[in-house]
Amino acid sequence: MEQQIAILKEYFKIAVKNLRTRKLRSWLTILGIVIGVFLIMSLLSLSQGLKETVLKQLRAVGTNIVMIMPGNISDIVTNLTGGMELTESDLNIIRKTKGVEAVLPNVFKAILVKSQDKTKTMILYGIDLRDSLNIYQDDMGMRVADGRWPVPGKREIIVGSLVSSDVFPGLKVGDKATIKGRQFEVVGILQSMGNKQDDMMAGIDMGFYRDITGDREGAPQAIAKIAMGYSVDQVAKNIKKNLEENAKRRIGRESGNVYSVLTSEALGSIVGGIMGIIQAIVFVFGGIAVLVGGIGIMNTMYTSVRERTKEIGILKAVGAKNSTIVMIFLIESSIIGLVGGIGGMIPGLGLSKLIQAYGQVHPVLYIEASITPGIILFGLIFSLGVGCLSGFFPARSAAQLKPVDALRYE
Amino acid sequence: MILFVANPVIKLDNVWKVYRLGKIDLPVLRGVSLDIARGSFVVILGPSGSGKSTMLHMVGCLDLPTRGKVLLENQDISAMSEDQLAQVRGRKIGFIFQQFNLLSNLTALENVMVPMIFQGSPEQERIGRASSLLNSLGLKDRLHHTPMELSGGEQQRVAIARALSNDPEIVVADEPTGNLDSATGEKIMEILMNLHKEEKKTIIVVTHDPQIARYSNQVVHIKDGQLALNHYSEEKILWSSK
Repeated sequence: MEQQIAILKEYFKIAVKNLRTRKLRSWLTILGIVIGVFLIMSLLSLSQGLKETVLKQLRAVGTNIVMIMPGNISDIVTNLTGGMELTESDLNIIRKTKGVEAVLPNVFKAILVKSQDKTKTMILYGIDLRDSLNIYQDDMGMRVADGRWPVPGKREIIVGSLVSSDVFPGLKVGDKATIKGRQFEVVGILQSMGNKQDDMMAGIDMGFYRDITGDREGAPQAIAKIAMGYSVDQVAKNIKKNLEENAKRRIGRESGNVYSVLTSEALGSIVGGIMGIIQAIVFVFGGIAVLVGGIGIMNTMYTSVRERTKEIGILKAVGAKNSTIVMIFLIESSIIGLVGGIGGMIPGLGLSKLIQAYGQVHPVLYIEASITPGIILFGLIFSLGVGCLSGFFPARSAAQLKPVDALRYE
Repeated sequence: MILFVANPVIKLDNVWKVYRLGKIDLPVLRGVSLDIARGSFVVILGPSGSGKSTMLHMVGCLDLPTRGKVLLENQDISAMSEDQLAQVRGRKIGFIFQQFNLLSNLTALENVMVPMIFQGSPEQERIGRASSLLNSLGLKDRLHHTPMELSGGEQQRVAIARALSNDPEIVVADEPTGNLDSATGEKIMEILMNLHKEEKKTIIVVTHDPQIARYSNQVVHIKDGQLALNHYSEEKILWSSK
């Protein structure tokens, strides 16, 4: 065993020497792998980070919360843009379903807000401060960073964490904001909720929201809190059943109206699934880049076998077995793979860290670079594997050379 | 035309080598039989294209006969696996080539150590043996030079050191002086002569230069793939085939 390691060490030295003799070509081949691994590592780290960020946000929402929206979840874009809404009677049905503790209509609208002599478009949320403030706080993960929540019935407004930096720079508690000619006082700034859209919103009491927007009833979506002691899944099913039966009764026949009731767990798995697809796509594209690099290794190694035919003959004449030749060539291609892997990983992970840092300064997107030992290990093993695999066939063809033919080769 | 030697180290028994070029069979060796005694110095003489190098390749286990048998210490090399052949080449046979065939990216010392790596010798032993071999061949100051930095004679001496690194019984040399001027060539032949005399190695040299024959104690003439003449230096009368 010890002797084997000592011999491997010698082969390693020979391989390194061979690579050094063809310095330029070795580096160019390594560069091919560097680019591929750079792509795959940066994209993988970012998409993994994105997945973790989104899932973390979802986890901030309590498990006893379900989200209700009209239409099928697979047509989510159509539903949101197609103006499908839950009616007031839908909301009442949800309220009456056994096991539902409270229902929050999830209402929001883009609206012009004036403050500091500037007018900006913001997403305005209606918040049911009177009945459900505790649900926003405890189950939806909304927490005040500065100031306090608005008092129901008072012209007060609370804003997301990014409003004071991005929308109205310098905005602080006590400032005034005008919406549709009515003046409100900013009384609170929320902690970050982890995504840009939520952190740039403004929230006012439901009553004012209804007045200002003219949306007197209904909601595009609703959130229901399930009471303690009830099965969230069961209640979610009952809500869906009740809503669909009501729709059928109202129209008098099979309406085809469907509702989606999503538990936070289901939401998590949907988001997880989407993120999984994104990662798979990222992996496929990065993989193609690495594959091209691998073909580069193969090409270089085949050329090398041709050039070194005579050398292979000499090695065989002085006692090298076929396995020895395979080993030397495999070590060479593995070194190319591994060096390329390390060379691609460092800038790749560096770039994703940079994007993360940029995201913190200029919050275009909240993205965290995920740099785990797992990702690093994956990158190393992956690039080593690519090196080994692409070196295998050239190495075999080198080993299969007949010593006499190889020696005669000029 | 078989000459029997008691317990030959190498025995060629009706050896044929036929190369197939397209649809034409080209016989390079046509039924060669030859015994080589342990410790002898054999020169195989013949013009180019006579098949002498092919014969040397078989003797050196680099190639296998198409027909007939090559026995190395009574073992049929055709029956050996590729790994066994590699083992035999590494341990029992040392090669010296016309083109020196050193590995150009390794130093003289490293070149000499390569065959020992394949036999699993520990590093200290390799360095010790390789440098003492090079020293004894007068290359003391050339250990860390690459082949490019050495003269032809020096390169061939490194090649001889490499051939001796695993202390083989047999040294085969294919036109060892072919790329050297006559004075240098003579020195190389003297080294081989010493190996034969002092270390009792079996030396087999292939050449087209009849001058070389004077070093040997057995001369084999080969022509058109067949033995034409095989005689011993101590014999006054030459042994002829036809």
